[in-house]
Amino acid sequence: MLNKLLHKHHSELPLKEDKANLFLEISTAISVFLFSIALAAYFMISTVIKTWNSNIIDGLTVQIMPSQQTISTDEEALRVGKVVHFFEGLDGVKKVVPVNEEKIKRLMAPWLGVNADIDALPIAKLIDVRLYDGKNFDFEKTADNLKEIAPYASIDNHGIWLKQLVKSATSLKTLSIFVLTMVLVASVFSIMYAVSTSLKVHQNIIEILHIMGATDAYIAKQYAKRGFIVGLMASFIGMFFSMLCLRVISHLSSGLETGLIGSARLDGLHWFLLLCLPFGVAVLSMLTSYLSVKHTLKEMM
Amino acid sequence: MQTHKNILTQPIIDMQNVCIRYGVEPDVLSNINLTLEKGSFHFLTGKSGAGKTSLLSMMYLALKPSKGTVNVFGANIGYAGREEMAMMRRKIGVVFQDFRLLEHLSAYDNVAVPLRVRGMGENEIKKRVKELLTWVELDKSMDKICSTLSGGEKQRVAIARAVINRPEILLADEPTGNVDDDIAFKLMKLFVELNKLGTTVVIATHSTDIIARYNYPQIHLENKELKIIPALRRVRNVE
Repeated sequence: MLNKLLHKHHSELPLKEDKANLFLEISTAISVFLFSIALAAYFMISTVIKTWNSNIIDGLTVQIMPSQQTISTDEEALRVGKVVHFFEGLDGVKKVVPVNEEKIKRLMAPWLGVNADIDALPIAKLIDVRLYDGKNFDFEKTADNLKEIAPYASIDNHGIWLKQLVKSATSLKTLSIFVLTMVLVASVFSIMYAVSTSLKVHQNIIEILHIMGATDAYIAKQYAKRGFIVGLMASFIGMFFSMLCLRVISHLSSGLETGLIGSARLDGLHWFLLLCLPFGVAVLSMLTSYLSVKHTLKEMM
Repeated sequence: MQTHKNILTQPIIDMQNVCIRYGVEPDVLSNINLTLEKGSFHFLTGKSGAGKTSLLSMMYLALKPSKGTVNVFGANIGYAGREEMAMMRRKIGVVFQDFRLLEHLSAYDNVAVPLRVRGMGENEIKKRVKELLTWVELDKSMDKICSTLSGGEKQRVAIARAVINRPEILLADEPTGNVDDDIAFKLMKLFVELNKLGTTVVIATHSTDIIARYNYPQIHLENKELKIIPALRRVRNVE
């Protein structure tokens, strides 16, 4: 149907030469640039929140504080084992893994350097506990029960400190939806303005076409075809620059491999949706042009 | 089967108590009553500014009356929807005094417009447009852009565009004004032939020669009013 619309429909209106085309191309390219950046931001924030929810909220870390007195390695292992055993016996616990010293060294490296003698330091032992559903896990009760059997252990509930962060990220996500909506509305109004200007410029030709028996739909199809072509071309330009921009951002953030925003990446589906954007914008431009012309022509002869 | 007599008794355009006014200006035409039967042929006469173009505009459905009722093909144009108006316009051929061609298109594409808006196939369009442009002696200029054509050539393109659809009503505003006598009479022959095939023809003209030679009834406009001047004799072998 689209093919038929694009190739079999003669255009009596000289829309290719319209001065409004340049305005529309530039405004569409800018809109697509902003839209794709906002959309990429939306995808990245969504991924981060999802990762936080699955990896961080659905987990807790148990710290076993170093003893005030010198204790043997066996005794230390016993203390850890007691806590591991406690968590393994709880409902809703998926996995309990004591964090090995190598990993602790790696985590401490940014602060202590790679050559630090960690054994000489009073550093807490860590146990990573994975949960099936962190949102419904009773942390307080677990902490109380733990205190009874192992007063030297304390629970670090990720959800508590992450809650604020998730809230901020969700606000950013809402902001990106707002930006997407604004850009979309601005694009639609730009197309409507360009179409209305063009209709005024070509009023004489449109009158002749009407006299020859052309329906409003016949005229609107010519605008729809032009809208599709202009929308597609301008979108590719906008997308080219947004891809460049995203590449630069990706390059700059490559140093943030670990940490909380390390998961802010675009996956295959996100890239696919971003690359579909020019076609989506072209279709939007086509439909807006078509409907706008049909609406405006009602006021003409 | 419709007989010739039946065809002539069906009103194709019927105006009752029609007034035409632009904005707050005084009436251009007032209290017009006119019935054109299917297959009739009329000249439309009157001085410049008498309202000929306004009357024709209403006949080709570009203008609605300020007052009164206009029925075209049996439908009241005051109540007709946009789609219905478009369908009615496809059955009306119009030749404008100033041609009103699409100047950026070729002669071929201009003549093809009425067929394309009807959704006709390109092969059929090609056949019909070439045939007609050859008939009006523009076969060698069919690919020329209209803005490069002479006044006479433009007029022939305009006429070809008006008749390509074999319209039921043909309205022409000074169609012979910019062509030499030979072409003028050839074009009149075309209009007469179309009329014989059942097309209702109204030609606005100042040419007394043509009016005298063809001697069809006249719709005469004077002092905002309309009167019919009957033909003095029946048209016979005018070609």
